[in-house]
Amino acid sequence: MTRAAGTARRRQLVTAAGLGTVLTVVMGAVLVMGFRLATNMRAGIGALQAASTLQTYPEEISRQLSTLRDRLEVRAYSGQALADLQGTVSRFDQKLNQLAGSHAADSPQLGRPLLLWHQYAPVLDPVVSFTGQPYVDSDTAGSSLSREGRAHYAAVKRAQLFASDSAGPLQAQLAALSATLQRSSSDAAARLRTLLLAGVLAALSLAGAAGYFQLTRSKHERAALEAQEQTRDILKTVREGLFLLDSEHHIGTVWSDALTRMFSRQDFAGLSFERLLKDLVPPATLTTATKYIKLLWGDRAHENLMKSINPLGQLEVKIDNGHGGRETRYLQFDFHRVMGQDGVKHVLCAVGDITSSVLLAHELEESQENASAQVDMMLGLLHVDPLQLVSFLDTADSSLKLVNTILKEPARTDAEFRKKLGGLFRELHGIKGEAQALNLKSIAGRVHTLEDMVSECKKKPELSGSDFLPMVLKLDELLAHLRSVREMAARLTALKDTAPGAAAMAAAAGAAAASGADAPGRSQPRVVEDLSPTLLAMAKRLAADNSKRFRLTLGGLADVPPSYAATIKDCIIQMLRNAAVHGIEPPEARRANTKQDIGLVSVHFRKNGDGYELVFEDDGAGIAAETLKAAAVRKQLISEQEAAEMDTRAAMALIFRPGFSTCEDVSMDAGRGVGMDIVARSVYALGGKIGVTTHPGRFTRFKIVLPAGRAASSAVA
Amino acid sequence: MRNGKAVAKNGGKRTLKLMIVDDSNIMRRRIERSQRFEQLELVGTAGNGLEALELFKKTDPDVVTMDITMPQMDGIECIARLVAMKPAVRILVVSALADKATAVEAMERGANGFLNKPFTDRQLNEAIAELMR
Repeated sequence: MTRAAGTARRRQLVTAAGLGTVLTVVMGAVLVMGFRLATNMRAGIGALQAASTLQTYPEEISRQLSTLRDRLEVRAYSGQALADLQGTVSRFDQKLNQLAGSHAADSPQLGRPLLLWHQYAPVLDPVVSFTGQPYVDSDTAGSSLSREGRAHYAAVKRAQLFASDSAGPLQAQLAALSATLQRSSSDAAARLRTLLLAGVLAALSLAGAAGYFQLTRSKHERAALEAQEQTRDILKTVREGLFLLDSEHHIGTVWSDALTRMFSRQDFAGLSFERLLKDLVPPATLTTATKYIKLLWGDRAHENLMKSINPLGQLEVKIDNGHGGRETRYLQFDFHRVMGQDGVKHVLCAVGDITSSVLLAHELEESQENASAQVDMMLGLLHVDPLQLVSFLDTADSSLKLVNTILKEPARTDAEFRKKLGGLFRELHGIKGEAQALNLKSIAGRVHTLEDMVSECKKKPELSGSDFLPMVLKLDELLAHLRSVREMAARLTALKDTAPGAAAMAAAAGAAAASGADAPGRSQPRVVEDLSPTLLAMAKRLAADNSKRFRLTLGGLADVPPSYAATIKDCIIQMLRNAAVHGIEPPEARRANTKQDIGLVSVHFRKNGDGYELVFEDDGAGIAAETLKAAAVRKQLISEQEAAEMDTRAAMALIFRPGFSTCEDVSMDAGRGVGMDIVARSVYALGGKIGVTTHPGRFTRFKIVLPAGRAASSAVA
Repeated sequence: MRNGKAVAKNGGKRTLKLMIVDDSNIMRRRIERSQRFEQLELVGTAGNGLEALELFKKTDPDVVTMDITMPQMDGIECIARLVAMKPAVRILVVSALADKATAVEAMERGANGFLNKPFTDRQLNEAIAELMR
């Protein structure tokens, strides 16, 4: 309800009360006046009755005087007549005096009969006050008037004389009085009627007014209820969390339902804004928010400025999700000042849940990053030799199939699970190495993530099948990515086909297809690819990544038989990686040891008697047997006692053990503890041997010997 | 310290003294040239908070534009000192810090307006107009 409506309502209430009071006073006056009028009328009617009765008395008195005189003249018994007269006079006098004392005394008409009676009464007085014996009886003269009797008789005659003159006028005067009284009585009756009419009118108006106000009041109440209901509906439906803050920064008694959902709580009434945010945001944000709210109450900053510096425009909060966990939401707080007569009265706070839009923005950003990553990948693919790429993709596919098989292998015991993890690790590590060699960062990065998951699993004290589920998902993603790389590579090849020099490319692809022994393409690459560019590129990258400087010389790689190609490649990549991370020292260290700044790494493959021989050598720091032992003890591969008893040769063999690595930092290139064990395993699988010779501070040399017989048969890498 | 020359006085309205505080010479000149209020008379510019305090004591400006990130004494502290000296001073924070917390802090210390760098001439003049209202 608006303030204007409230004022109007107040004014109406005041008017109603005023009108009610006036009407009640009028009613009261009417009743009081009516009561007085009625009382007067009653008195008037009494007087009228008295006056009417009195009219007959003068004549009665005259008659009784006559009777008394007659009696006295015939000397008859006059006692009764006198007694009658006495009674009549006494009653008349009494009633007239009563009348004079009553309401009728005001009437001028009463004065005259009173005056006349005051003259008449003294005349009658001797008659009525006679108490003696009027007669004397003598035997001679019979009954005669006594002296008293004569005086009495004279008095009676005098009174009769007065009566004959005055009885008529007295009666007329009394009649006039009663006429007057009757008139005034009917006047009073008329007044009473008018008054009653006014009273009835006043009562009717009062009732009407009361009815009207009742009606408007109920109309107002209805409107207020409706407004209340509308407010409730708004608060129920609105998607923002709405509430008012008072000057103490406390939340009011009303808020929208959305607020409850956003904050997963209901106790907002009287809650301070600080408390609302306390557990949801970092302390620094809370302090800023509190200061900001305080500023809203001042008049220094106008609404737009306050809006522009709102620190809660996008607030990341961690809210209980009701299941014991906490979920991240993004809330947007908007503040609006509610002005009263003396400045800011409340601050209206509107909270919006912008989680989905923020996440959408993040997704957009991510997809943009992905898109640019794809462009990068495409540009990267452009630099990779198509044959190498196809070969890599084939190898990766078969490795990942193996990974998939390992993941599906049934396992129950912890040892079985750990064996699975070991297998996964070796396969993934191999793919990663190759991807890095070709500088296929997007693939290497993904494999690295998968490898990380495997490492995390290894750290767990107990393993179960469900630990492998995330890996399956990640593997799917990786396979999808490989497919997209393959598609992209195909498109690029198509693009290159139309370009000049495509003929040469097509010829190479044709040769590749021709040399494939069985099913074309994927499963078994039979192409003897030129390893040199890949290895040289990888060496360059490894040097840059590890801040090392070394030169790689390659020899005889063209002679690698096709069946050994994959293994030889894996082994060289692994050893190159080890050399870059562990072997070659940083330039400063080399200088200190009077070595050339630039290290030397050489790889030579040659036929040796019946078989083949691969020698990998770097002029780096070499391997110290004690360092290997210490690392193996730390990794709990051997006990301290075993370490103490171990000779140099046995210590060197440690580097071929699964799970061994001396580098503590896990990087893309080393530190996983796999690497040389993969090399050894692949060599053993081909029926070969591997050995290591080292001189601390001088060099490390790996020598791999492979039999000739296997070279002819198909070998699986 | 660089004391600016007085700009043409305006006959009708009361002249207000303006001080520009910014560690960038370019920014000081930019504000000086871009502001279009005849009743504003530039009384000086300062390159850091300490210089600003000195200049403030000497020239007693009514309107100040204040950078936040400055050597020796930053804008936030400078604002508090200026307001302590002259509560009626009007301060416009002109800063490249998009950080809302800094803005709130500056307002709390007594600044009257906030303008983000970079800004257009129009934004600057609107902000100053708002400041002098």
